[in-house]
Amino acid sequence: MTDTPLPGTRPNTQDSSTPEQRRIRRLRRQRAMNTFEAAVMIVIIVLVLFPIGWMVATAFKSPAVVYQYTMWFEPTLENFRNIFSERWNIGKNILNSSIVAISVVIIATPLAVGAAYAFSRLMFPLKRTMFQWILLTQFIPAVAIVLPFYVMFRTLNLLDTYFALIIVNLSGVLPYAIWTIKGFIDAIPIEAEEAARIDGAGRFRVIWDIVVPMAWPGIMTAAIFCLILTWNEFLFGYLLTRQHAVPLPVGLISFVLERGTVWELVAATGIIITIPMFFFAMIIQRHFTKGMNLGAVR
Amino acid sequence: MANISFRGVTKRWGAFVGVHELHLEVADQEFLVLLGPSGCGKTTTMRMVAGLEDPSEGEIWIGEDVVNDMSPRERDVAMVFQNYGLYPHMTVRDNIGYPLKVRGTPKAEAKAMIQAAAEKVELVPFLDRKPAALSGGQRQRVALARSLVRTPRVFLMDEPLSNLDAKLRVTMRAELKHLHHELRVTTIYVTHDQMEAMTLATRVAVMNKGIIQQLDAPEVIYNDPANLFVAGFIGSPSMNLVEGRLENGGFHAGLIAVPGVGGGNRENIVLGIRPEDVTVGAPGSGQFDMEVYTVELTGESILVTARAGKTQLTAHADRHFRCEIGERVGMSFDVARTYLFDAKSEERIRL
Ligand SMILES: Nc1ncnc2c1ncn2[C@@H]1O[C@H](COP(=O)(O)OP(=O)(O)O)[C@@H](O)[C@H]1O
Ligand SMILES: [Mg+2]
Repeated sequence: MTDTPLPGTRPNTQDSSTPEQRRIRRLRRQRAMNTFEAAVMIVIIVLVLFPIGWMVATAFKSPAVVYQYTMWFEPTLENFRNIFSERWNIGKNILNSSIVAISVVIIATPLAVGAAYAFSRLMFPLKRTMFQWILLTQFIPAVAIVLPFYVMFRTLNLLDTYFALIIVNLSGVLPYAIWTIKGFIDAIPIEAEEAARIDGAGRFRVIWDIVVPMAWPGIMTAAIFCLILTWNEFLFGYLLTRQHAVPLPVGLISFVLERGTVWELVAATGIIITIPMFFFAMIIQRHFTKGMNLGAVR
Repeated sequence: MANISFRGVTKRWGAFVGVHELHLEVADQEFLVLLGPSGCGKTTTMRMVAGLEDPSEGEIWIGEDVVNDMSPRERDVAMVFQNYGLYPHMTVRDNIGYPLKVRGTPKAEAKAMIQAAAEKVELVPFLDRKPAALSGGQRQRVALARSLVRTPRVFLMDEPLSNLDAKLRVTMRAELKHLHHELRVTTIYVTHDQMEAMTLATRVAVMNKGIIQQLDAPEVIYNDPANLFVAGFIGSPSMNLVEGRLENGGFHAGLIAVPGVGGGNRENIVLGIRPEDVTVGAPGSGQFDMEVYTVELTGESILVTARAGKTQLTAHADRHFRCEIGERVGMSFDVARTYLFDAKSEERIRL
């Protein structure tokens, strides 16, 4: 077969090259593309990793060399020893953050599964509107509602308590969790649930035996995201706590002193904040790919 | 054990009517087959019995109970879904055993029951697999085994053999028939395969557009169709249906004239005759001549399709009969085996 160009096709009309030549040209173009892609990737990687690298380096520097732009220094664990000392007592902040984050996850996950199931499968009045309103809350900037929350908790005498932090974080993460899990439940074939009901399972049993296992990757993802969001939350933690319930990110503020910021301690604490989240992010990634695979099964 | 009774059951979605004023009594221990083309409301009827769909009107009874407000669990039915409805996260064993687990059957007992059900549908080697690792036919058998693992008041089977290969379908059909004989559980069985309907059914309900067209024993459905739809739907190859008129008892359609079909004069009728009741022979030897349009060898016989003007007929010829496309042949009707229908109302005209 000869490839006679169709009349009216502009590109290639004068192309007398052989298929082999064209293949080589295409390969070359592809390689050029790859070089370009690689360059972009490198820029992105540097932009993302540089601050993290900087933080890691600083955390292991002794106060004397913190302000030197060198990568050649004698690493020390002194900063870590320091932040856990009586003076800074970051351990207390870790405990606070852990209690709040874990409570939020334990409360938010089952609630979100229930709500997501209802929005996905049940019929009730104003369902769409309610779901839209729940999502809308995500678009309200936290700064806009922090003051009402402050006044509310002050009135209730709940400032500087775990309870207050758990409530505000729940209100922040629940819409997101409901939305994520609903997406996964929507993807479950309804026949499996119907079959279970005929096999004798009641509504809750169906959720437990069929919906939860099948939406598990989504539930895990949502739960871990809730954990990360709560763990990293700063604004509410900053304004709603004084000394008793101060969460870890807010604890960083204590390193801002009159004589300046103690950067090496900020960096060491930063690492403590980051490491668990890093592992959770890896778990999410694994579950996400698993979720994709599960979706293909039918 | 229970009979099932539909009393004026209608299912509507907005203005669309899926099932229209269904009155149907399924006797205890009966094997009732719902037969009809795709989209005629078979699955909907089944789902209303199971409790997955609420009737818009009417009552459904199982045994002594009006089940309209009962949950699927309380109705105690087992169902095979058209698209399996398996639990993808469970092994075949757990899929089959789920009804037992939910009902709290003791472990050891359940194990034996699962094994027995798996043996019936030849699934034993696959018990530890997940549904994703099974073929369509194997999945369908899991669905079947899951419904057979316990003895419910009613079996509902929605095209349970549609995805099996021809050989297994015949085996399973026989197996189901035997099983019904053994268990004597009232069964509603949906299919669009007439062969299945004919072989399995105590009675067949032929459905179209949400309405039961005829409800009778298989042989009656075949030999005495109530209307044009049933006549055209039942039988393979399907019945010849020729539009024409009656003149002094003779049937006239274009170039065809067959005497002695009915009585009197009447316009707008449709004559039906099965291919096996049409004979083909040499030109001039029959009631009228036609030109051969196609010839198909089916093995046990030859299907000759022939035309005269706009009229087309298919005949079952003897397997030794030979003819070529374009040749002229003589055709005759066995007039005793013809059916007449009103072209407008599509109802049978009985003379
Ligand atoms: N949930 C639904 N909403 C609207 N129409 C439906 C719904 N379920 C089924 N139908 C319609 O009802 C008719 C009968 O469907 P069904 O009972 O599944 O037919 P079948 O005889 O092929 O099993 C079809 O036209 C189908 O489109
Ligand atoms: Mg169907």
